[in-house]
Amino acid sequence: MSKEFIDHRFHITRRHFLGKVSLGLGSVALGSLLIPDLLSKSEGPIQGLGLPHFAPKAKRVIYLFQNGAPSQLESFDYKPMLNKMTGQELPASIRMGQRLTGMTANQAKFPLVGSNFKFNQYGKSGAWVSEIFPNIAKVTDDICFIKSMHTEAINHDPALTFMQTGAQQGNRPSMGAWLSYGLGSENKNLPAYCVLLSRGRGNGQGVYSKLWTNGFLDSVHQGVQFSSSEERVLYLKDPEGRDRADRRKMLDNLAQLNDLNYKEFGDPEIQTRVQQYEMAYRMQTAVPELTDLTKEPDNIIKMYGADCLVPGTYAANCLLARKLSEAGVRFVQLYHQGWDQHGNMTGEMTLQAEDVDRSTAALIMDLKQRGLLDETLVIWGGEFGRTNYCQGSFSKDNYGRDHHPRAYTIWMAGGGVKSGITYGETDEFGYNIVKDPVHVNDFHATILHLMGLNHEQLTYKHLGRRYKLTDVAGKVVEGILS
Amino acid sequence: MQRATRISINLIFFIQVLLLFLLFFEHRIQLPAWLQVAGRMHPMVLHVPIGILILLFVFMLFRNTFQKKQFRKIMLLCLMLASLSAAVTALFGFFLSIGGDYGVEALQQHKISGVVLSVITFFILVWYQNVKKSEIVFYSAFVFSILVLVLAGHTGSVLTHGENFVLAPVTNKEVGELDVNTASLYRLAVMPVLEKKCFSCHNESKAKGKLIMTSIEKFKRGGENGKVLLEGNSDSSRMIKYIHLPLDDDDHMPPDGKPQLNTFEISLLQAWIQSGANFEKKMSDFADDDTLKKMATTAIGSMIAKEEVKQYTFKAASEDVIKKMNTPFRTAFPIYQNSPALQVDFFVKESFQIGSLEELKEVKDQLVVLNLSKMPVTDVDLTIISQFKNLEKLNLNFTSVKGEGLTNLKSLSQLQSLSLSGTAVSKEALNSILSIPALAEVFIWNTPIKENEKAELEKSFPKIVFIHTLFNDPSKLALSKPILLNEGIIKKGELLQLKHTMPGVAIRYTLDGNNPDSVSSSLYEKPIVVNETVKLKALACKDGWYCSGLLEITCYVEGYKPTQVTLLKPADKQYPGEGAITLTNRLKGFTDVLNEPSWLGFRENAFEAGFTFGSNPPLIKKIVLSYADNLGGYIFPPAEVEVWGGANAKEIKLIKSLKVNQPKSYRSQSMEALAISLEASTYTYYKVVAKPVNKLPLWHGGKGQKGWFFIDEIFFY
Repeated sequence: MSKEFIDHRFHITRRHFLGKVSLGLGSVALGSLLIPDLLSKSEGPIQGLGLPHFAPKAKRVIYLFQNGAPSQLESFDYKPMLNKMTGQELPASIRMGQRLTGMTANQAKFPLVGSNFKFNQYGKSGAWVSEIFPNIAKVTDDICFIKSMHTEAINHDPALTFMQTGAQQGNRPSMGAWLSYGLGSENKNLPAYCVLLSRGRGNGQGVYSKLWTNGFLDSVHQGVQFSSSEERVLYLKDPEGRDRADRRKMLDNLAQLNDLNYKEFGDPEIQTRVQQYEMAYRMQTAVPELTDLTKEPDNIIKMYGADCLVPGTYAANCLLARKLSEAGVRFVQLYHQGWDQHGNMTGEMTLQAEDVDRSTAALIMDLKQRGLLDETLVIWGGEFGRTNYCQGSFSKDNYGRDHHPRAYTIWMAGGGVKSGITYGETDEFGYNIVKDPVHVNDFHATILHLMGLNHEQLTYKHLGRRYKLTDVAGKVVEGILS
Repeated sequence: MQRATRISINLIFFIQVLLLFLLFFEHRIQLPAWLQVAGRMHPMVLHVPIGILILLFVFMLFRNTFQKKQFRKIMLLCLMLASLSAAVTALFGFFLSIGGDYGVEALQQHKISGVVLSVITFFILVWYQNVKKSEIVFYSAFVFSILVLVLAGHTGSVLTHGENFVLAPVTNKEVGELDVNTASLYRLAVMPVLEKKCFSCHNESKAKGKLIMTSIEKFKRGGENGKVLLEGNSDSSRMIKYIHLPLDDDDHMPPDGKPQLNTFEISLLQAWIQSGANFEKKMSDFADDDTLKKMATTAIGSMIAKEEVKQYTFKAASEDVIKKMNTPFRTAFPIYQNSPALQVDFFVKESFQIGSLEELKEVKDQLVVLNLSKMPVTDVDLTIISQFKNLEKLNLNFTSVKGEGLTNLKSLSQLQSLSLSGTAVSKEALNSILSIPALAEVFIWNTPIKENEKAELEKSFPKIVFIHTLFNDPSKLALSKPILLNEGIIKKGELLQLKHTMPGVAIRYTLDGNNPDSVSSSLYEKPIVVNETVKLKALACKDGWYCSGLLEITCYVEGYKPTQVTLLKPADKQYPGEGAITLTNRLKGFTDVLNEPSWLGFRENAFEAGFTFGSNPPLIKKIVLSYADNLGGYIFPPAEVEVWGGANAKEIKLIKSLKVNQPKSYRSQSMEALAISLEASTYTYYKVVAKPVNKLPLWHGGKGQKGWFFIDEIFFY
């Protein structure tokens, strides 16, 4: 039997069931075994809010996704050996015949290339940070660097999809959708999962709505994409000549029609739709206050940089992310595009870093000074790393790097991760991981753990089997838990 | 009696069928709450069949003392009761097992024996009704049922009380509190790991692979393949080898599907074996800098930390009460599943009413986290909060609290975290509650409390972390550029509108191509009137900030529209646009996407187009060509431009010709306007010619090759 039929049966109400089935007591007993809520009055646990399996460290996530894969070697994974050996061939003992992308596999030479940017150590933790991130360098003591991330995908789309949904092919629910499903929305006036996009100034890669899809979960768990225009959520304003009371009346009548339909077909998506209409109605009050950035005090504007008042910039998205998170949004997903430096590393990387450095650091400080950092998990990173050898023509001033899934750096801050530490290590060529590898599945397991969820228990039955964000793998990275 | 018997037998039969169904399809079932209650009655109900079966047994021993007819009646009644109670007990047992978390093996045995008992008693009942029954079958079935009863009872007790429950007082050694100074490192740090991940299969009763790890001697002896640990040589020890096998290997330990060892646990085991796999050596016998000792200390520390999750002694609020606490603007929820502690958040300040805070008194014991951020809560309202005596975390950021009411919070002895950022609380007001013993962090950013006052507070209350302003950057920053609100081609009479998102910014602009400055250039006060295509340059300035970078945009304004347009030479095949109409359809392209309908591209041919104005031609003073400048893509300004005018296509003369300045090096791509001023004229027909660069300059990567010319619109003023 297809899932739809089974689902349909599971959503039959008591009246529905009793009305249609009249085979006596035995049938009722059997029926109630198959449909647990059949004879109970309540509508299950508190509506729209799941609960963590155990005491959570973090209540909300802000994921600053750097789309295109920023180079770890120009940002946080300092490899002086590459500077010493710049221009020399990548040793075969390091590459070990591993696969490369079609873009460089046919290159005759693989000349190593060191970072053009200077590195220094910062904070009590002595973390190495490149000169193009001067503000992130100031908050390193709040950060946990993971330098041993690795993934299986070698190109953007599958890698991005893997990072977001736990599978390289599309159609699985994304991490935010899983968290919405597992934990629900803290604030019933806003979606549990919001998506903010910005374009960078480097070579860009697209983002698409499959990255914030609900997959097979109820569509209420889908990420809500905010517009990059001045009106961050479209169509929230009442149309001219109509007021809120009209809207209320219209929704009430619409709900009655939908209810008729629901009684007839029992399709749970109808109820989802009604709930979404109701939330949109409440968003009409809640959102304008959130998206109005003009009331932010001057020192906040200065902290995030002047761009934070220009809608659709990364800085504006960081500020909005803080406001959404503060207002109880479970998962705020940012994407900043333009990190795909196959060439012109020096120029583009500088521009990209300039886009994100100040506002990223500001977000961390801002959360901290409000007492929110210890319950908000901030994640910064891309979908894979970049090669230690040069792609294309090699010159001293400029170079490019190809995709490198074997080792890359991301960092986290806040909610339940140790601050001021570096976890994992790559070899001195920055090519292979030599200590504490963290796979994408482990990364997901850890995030769920921080949110109070056991990744092996957060399941959803679909097409005859139970699915998890981590599928059949994933271990919580104990070493970074505070 | 007969009717009752029939009904009972049918009912019992129905349950038998249900039981068999459950035995095979149990995993398909989800259990409603009321059946869980029935399930939990299993441990009570189960005593009934035991009692009755024993009673039956006693009756049978003394059957000669009864009259035969009476005896048969009693037996039938008892058998019926036994069968019914056995069936119900088994059914309840299933309900209990679905909700519970029991070991798989013992549970399976218990289930099967329970069902068999139920079936066999039913069999006996039916058999006894049969008049011509064989006594031997009856008695052997009865004895068998007693045996099954014992088996079911035993497996059941193993499930509830664990193995060896009955004899434990005689056989178990005493397990005392572990003392770090006297207990061995193995017992303190290594055994807990094995206990968690290995003992469940490698114990006295299961002994998978004949390995028993629960006894030190047997652990040392090893399993069916010999020793599992080689003292001092962890890499060759079978145990470590198996741990490192890939997960899908059949020999991998712990097996796939069971909880795996984490990296730390593995390295701890390795270090312990490497150092000789000593079971007796005490923690204190190791040197302080010994790696194994260090790891063991961490392991013990993390075990203690894990157990640190706070246990609350108060009772949970009922589900109905919690549900009542939830409104669209107030969320209340247990901090995790089955925790009695509650968190309550308030949202949307327009909808806040003080009554909604008072309602929380109903959960005043359970309330542990309260978030009132941005709500219009005042000092008076803090008296309500002071009743939430188990409160640990209180967020009052950006509320209207001024401070005089803070003393009320003194009674919150459990309060650990207090957020007051963005309030008007002074140092003096704050002082009054800092003596709360549990208080660990206070957030006072954006309050009247000054940096030096914060330092004083830190001195007086060294246990408390005060978070004040984290961002101190005296340097000046540049503003963002102004924004042009008009989109696309500007209609006649439409005004140019500029905007800046920061309040108090002055926008200065020019329309003549010169760069504006922050002092003398025109100040933008109201929308700008434009009659023809202009180059707008604007910047934003504000005290305390550097002026923004330049906003440079060519604003194309609608002109006279010719009645007919013809391309005299076709555009390049790759970039045909939509033909001649492309030039006047008011659709602008982008300089980085050229292969689309708004562009016409020319390389071999020069651009040559004819424009006819109807019977009443307008006075034309200027023609503007909108073209792409994308040097990297070989797309250059035209080398030369000519304008011809006349009454029709045949009678025309050259009225203007000019050479266009060519770039000297690469520059960023842009949309450019080439303005050609004419002597005012009213020709009916104009011909415009633009010749692409014939040879790209020497500095260009494609030097010597032909350049491209891309045009998307043309305007007549």
